[in-house]
Amino acid sequence: MSGGLKFGKHQPYDVIVCGAGHAGCEAALAASRLGADTLMLTGNLDTVAQMSCNPAIGGQAKGHMVREIDALGGEMAINTDTTAIQFRLLNASKGPAVQAPRAQCDKKAYQFRMKHVLELQARLDLFQAMVQGLIYEGDRVVGVRTNLDVEFYAKTVIVTTGTFLRGLMHVGKNQNKGGRMGDFSAEGLSGSFLEAGIELERLKTGTPARILGSSIDFELLEEQKGDPEPTLFAFYDTRGIENVFHVEHSGQESSESNHALFHVEHSGQRKLGWLPGRDQVSCWMTYTGAETRQVVTDNLHQSPMYSGQIEGTGPRYCPSIEDKFVRFADKERHMLFLEPEGRNTNEWYINGLSTSLPFEVQLDMLRSIDGLKNVHMLRPAYAVEYDFAPPTQLFPTLESKKVENLFFAGQINGTSGYEEAAGQGLIAGVNAVQKLRGGEPLVLKRHEAYLGVLIDDLVTKGTKEPYRMFSSRAEHRLLFNHPSAELRLVDAIERLQLVGNERVTRIKEKASKVLEWTDRLENERREGESYALHLRRSHSQADFPDALQAESKEVRDEVHYRVVFKGYLEREQKQIEKLKHIDKIKLPEGFDFSAVKGLRSESTQKLIAIMPRTLGQASRISGVNPADISILMVHLEARLGLKAP
Amino acid sequence: MPAADTIVALSTPAGESAIALIRLSGPDCADLGQAISGRSQPLRKRFAHFAKYLDIKGDLLDECLITYFTEGQSFTGESMLEVAPHGNPLIVQKILADLMARGCRAAEPGEFTRTAFLNGRMDLSQAEAVSDLIRARSDRSLQVAQRQLHGSVGRKMSELTERLLSVMAHLEAYIDFPEEDLPGEDQAGPASELRQLISEMQDLIETQRYSALLHEGIKTLIIGEPNVGKSSLINALTGADRSIVSDIPGTTRDYISAFMMVGPWRIEILDTAGLHEAGDAIEKIGIEHTIEQAETADFFLLVLDAATPSPTLPSSLLSRMTPINAIIIENKTDLPAAQSHADFLPDLRHVPMSLLQRKGLAELRDAWLQSIDASLSQPQNDGVVVNARHAASLGKAVDALELASSKLKDGELSELIAADLRDAVEHIGQVVGRVDNERMLDSLFKQFCIGK
Repeated sequence: MSGGLKFGKHQPYDVIVCGAGHAGCEAALAASRLGADTLMLTGNLDTVAQMSCNPAIGGQAKGHMVREIDALGGEMAINTDTTAIQFRLLNASKGPAVQAPRAQCDKKAYQFRMKHVLELQARLDLFQAMVQGLIYEGDRVVGVRTNLDVEFYAKTVIVTTGTFLRGLMHVGKNQNKGGRMGDFSAEGLSGSFLEAGIELERLKTGTPARILGSSIDFELLEEQKGDPEPTLFAFYDTRGIENVFHVEHSGQESSESNHALFHVEHSGQRKLGWLPGRDQVSCWMTYTGAETRQVVTDNLHQSPMYSGQIEGTGPRYCPSIEDKFVRFADKERHMLFLEPEGRNTNEWYINGLSTSLPFEVQLDMLRSIDGLKNVHMLRPAYAVEYDFAPPTQLFPTLESKKVENLFFAGQINGTSGYEEAAGQGLIAGVNAVQKLRGGEPLVLKRHEAYLGVLIDDLVTKGTKEPYRMFSSRAEHRLLFNHPSAELRLVDAIERLQLVGNERVTRIKEKASKVLEWTDRLENERREGESYALHLRRSHSQADFPDALQAESKEVRDEVHYRVVFKGYLEREQKQIEKLKHIDKIKLPEGFDFSAVKGLRSESTQKLIAIMPRTLGQASRISGVNPADISILMVHLEARLGLKAP
Repeated sequence: MPAADTIVALSTPAGESAIALIRLSGPDCADLGQAISGRSQPLRKRFAHFAKYLDIKGDLLDECLITYFTEGQSFTGESMLEVAPHGNPLIVQKILADLMARGCRAAEPGEFTRTAFLNGRMDLSQAEAVSDLIRARSDRSLQVAQRQLHGSVGRKMSELTERLLSVMAHLEAYIDFPEEDLPGEDQAGPASELRQLISEMQDLIETQRYSALLHEGIKTLIIGEPNVGKSSLINALTGADRSIVSDIPGTTRDYISAFMMVGPWRIEILDTAGLHEAGDAIEKIGIEHTIEQAETADFFLLVLDAATPSPTLPSSLLSRMTPINAIIIENKTDLPAAQSHADFLPDLRHVPMSLLQRKGLAELRDAWLQSIDASLSQPQNDGVVVNARHAASLGKAVDALELASSKLKDGELSELIAADLRDAVEHIGQVVGRVDNERMLDSLFKQFCIGK
């Protein structure tokens, strides 16, 4: 916290963050850690970093993003590691690029630790108040109005309101206003956006019922344990002092202190959490029963999705149980996971059973599931509709094209998922600071990180459903093995000073060791052939030279990956080189696409709407085809003398 | 916008010639025209001025014709100059050097055409030359071709693309959704579909041959022993005395080619030296050339003399002839000694003919047309034909698919196979336009129930 809350026109902050979800937390931390005077406003300080849906972080592509967030100095990774109750490495049988860490979290512990981190953060003020409108001066934002009639001013404002904008929840025909059950909705802010010419559309998402663990018959279910050796999200090899628990507790048996408070800051302040990987708990697998389908199909007419009561578009990858039975009529049963919501609660989450059927139907449905015959429901499943601002209205910095100094991050941009939100929050936080300092913004490339793919997709293509990251969205995912996040992003980390100098030094050391050894293994020989050749056959680190064996696991694993998969990685690099050419060709600001002869009118319209900043971005707009790009390229080269360097 | 350069290039081939043509395009043309011709007044537009070319120092370089075109009334749309000096390479070099000394810039290959396009003098969708040029200039092999795609090609390609995306979706589902309740990971299905796709794409590439035949003509070789009437045949078919006809065997010592139509087909017809044990060295070379030509020929007309016994021909030639690419002409049926050669290569179609009496020509054309139609309708995909560029992109896609296919067979990591498939989709995208990953995801979510 800083010297005290500042309000009114004459005490502007550098940055105001509206919202304290996963996007808001990273945005506020990034901005204040970069030295900006920051205020975070939330309607409810008790729901900071709330996991509104499933109690898990990570998974395919998402886990990769969490590691990228950690590389860029974000909090999500270490917050997950220290509050997780189960760790699993997904795709362990596949190659390193698509292996992904995933963790079940203790929801409350996750929130408490994050809130405490915010409280401890220098230059960051927290305040509970709901933002009801933005204050504009011309085409710039200068502050926010709250429901307490207190106004706060700032040079930049980051909006991370999630599903709360005109949130409407559905349980059958029952409707309640709110972005999350138990919480309110933000009704005023939408008007403020519309007033500035920012367009809004509706999306829909949903969450399943929560049930009481003591009413589950675990005897009938299949257990899914965590990995004995947890795969963690944060980079402890470079984090240094924050990594103190590794040193203190390594080799020690479980003690009481591990369970609760492990982390002693040099400032003398404590953060919640426990030693990662200790006392993991299990998830349980079950299936819809013989009658489940009947219950669902008999009551389809009562589902707001099918009655037309819900207008928003739901995600394809997270269909409601109604959708599953209708669209996959051949499939006899659907798998469900029962996931614990924490250590100190017996509330369980039913993964795979999202629905908006009425309460009574939900009860019948639950009871038809194996192991849930005597289930006690704690909270019903519901669907929620909310406003989002189509992200094609943003620059790649996440700043609004319509309103200067106004940034958007998280679900308001049409995404889904804690990790997608957190990643955007971090980027928006950094860019808000860069904006007010006149610095070069942080815009990651598609070949650098999933976060680069995420934001490029959002601002270039927009989205029709809640956008979730998939590894297939990344053209060069073979380069995105999760342990390489720091190495891939080292330039941005150093340039923007997103982490402390010591960590930067350690990251660079790691990077140069990896490069050195990758090279040495190609050139140094054993028994008449290079180590690399041998390794590409054996795939075994046991064949490393002794000096490399002595390096850290992080270095060894990365060298191993780069040597064994060299051919593939080089092919990716070549393709990137080819693409770089057109990504370097900048389109001048305010470029007049309508003056370019030969463009199809459909393309011209799309180009004008998106206003791409590079030819590469233009080429990724759906509906703009290669012929249009060639016309633009010729036009740029000949008319403006712009050539790729 | 900065003032553009004035560009200059030699438009005629390098080397000696009667005259050469140097073209300039750009804002300085009017001034330059006046300067190099040493005139006190601007040149008249669209008028060939006879002038003494004076270089920047005032020295005479040559006498030449200079024509000035005003902006908007020239090939490029900019003001232009055409300078036609004598075709002496030294003079041409001096003039080019002088123009550059006066501030002109050497044009890049195709820059005149490109400028014309940029000034709206040309519609890109119609200007194949320009699209070629653009492709050549951009690393990404940017394809203009899709606009020209015939509907049937587009349909076929989108069908292939959908099926390829479906194979990809099959692999991707197991990569991106490892925790879903998916059916057992099956590689046999994708493997066989991939083989099928490769084979259909190869057929499609094969149709490029048809496309080439349409444009370049069906190369047809007329062969036979000396003096059986080969040259008479070509003259009868083309209606011109292209070959020297005489009764001295071996008159045609090199091939003579002519173009004609058979039905809708353009035919390049090649007369060849007579095939027999050669009398002299030159004839021998001619025969060797004939055999060489046969290697790349699309069609054969084998001429026999009805009045003499069936010939003995080199097996290297005979082995290339099949019922759909060869017709046997039994000429000279007008002679009393004429008899049938039906037993000679009986699988091939025989057409009796008397070139002297001009009998049998119509029958030949009918038989010929039937054969061409039969041979060219065989490997087609419902009449879908791709052009050379499409074929090249498809070829690259097939290469990538072959890689994927062999990896699938070897049980390699699915993300590596997926990378090859992505490559293939990228190449196909150069024919049909960029294929967005969304389409793969659509296919994935249609096939698999995702959402645990």
